[in-house]
Amino acid sequence: MLALKMDPEVSASERAPVPDDSGEYSESGVDLGLIRWMLSLTPLERLQFLEERINDILEIRERNAAR
Amino acid sequence: MPQGRLVAALHDLRKREIQFIVVGGLAAVLNGAPVQTFDIDLVYSCEPANVERLLRFLLEVDAIFRVQPERRLRPTESHLAGGGHLNLLTCYGPVDLLGTIGRNLDFSDLRAHSKEIDIGEGIRVLVLDLETIIAVKEELGSEKDLAVLPVLYETLREIKKKGK
Repeated sequence: MLALKMDPEVSASERAPVPDDSGEYSESGVDLGLIRWMLSLTPLERLQFLEERINDILEIRERNAAR
Repeated sequence: MPQGRLVAALHDLRKREIQFIVVGGLAAVLNGAPVQTFDIDLVYSCEPANVERLLRFLLEVDAIFRVQPERRLRPTESHLAGGGHLNLLTCYGPVDLLGTIGRNLDFSDLRAHSKEIDIGEGIRVLVLDLETIIAVKEELGSEKDLAVLPVLYETLREIKKKGK
């Protein structure tokens, strides 16, 4: 159960209850929420997201290469 | 928005009118599957004119074979015309050029199983459809290919459910 904060300085959208996100998984353990999110993007957005992730991973690898 | 190397590579290939189909992990991502991949897998047309355009592209993007990169071995026309698998490093990052995939399926076989996808600035690329990506991976049956299948099956199910 989620408790709602009623701080007046917090906007309505921020106060909106976060849906129960315990996640929906297939029988094989696949995160269906992640798939639905990917499908909500355009192909170009999917490509750009992949690229951002690759760059992040490469940057972390580079930073830790000397360790 | 500044272009990343993946998008830039695809734009460059299309602007040069090179005939190719995006396959593998990148095709899965473009179809909406949340999988990770680091290279660009392309099946190219082995038509002589296309091979010529592709060779010029490879020269200009400083392509070398990924095996023994210190030797800086460059792909040649005979490598491309042979229709094998060329694993290359380019200024756009790793690019795998494939003459065929699965049971010797080449560009003309796969054309009917591909769809055009808009990747911005009016550039459209041919991307292998998810059903065929799955069929090829099932056929290959390697651990690497089988590992990704559950995500691809669920993505296909979601697409069908949504009627996308």
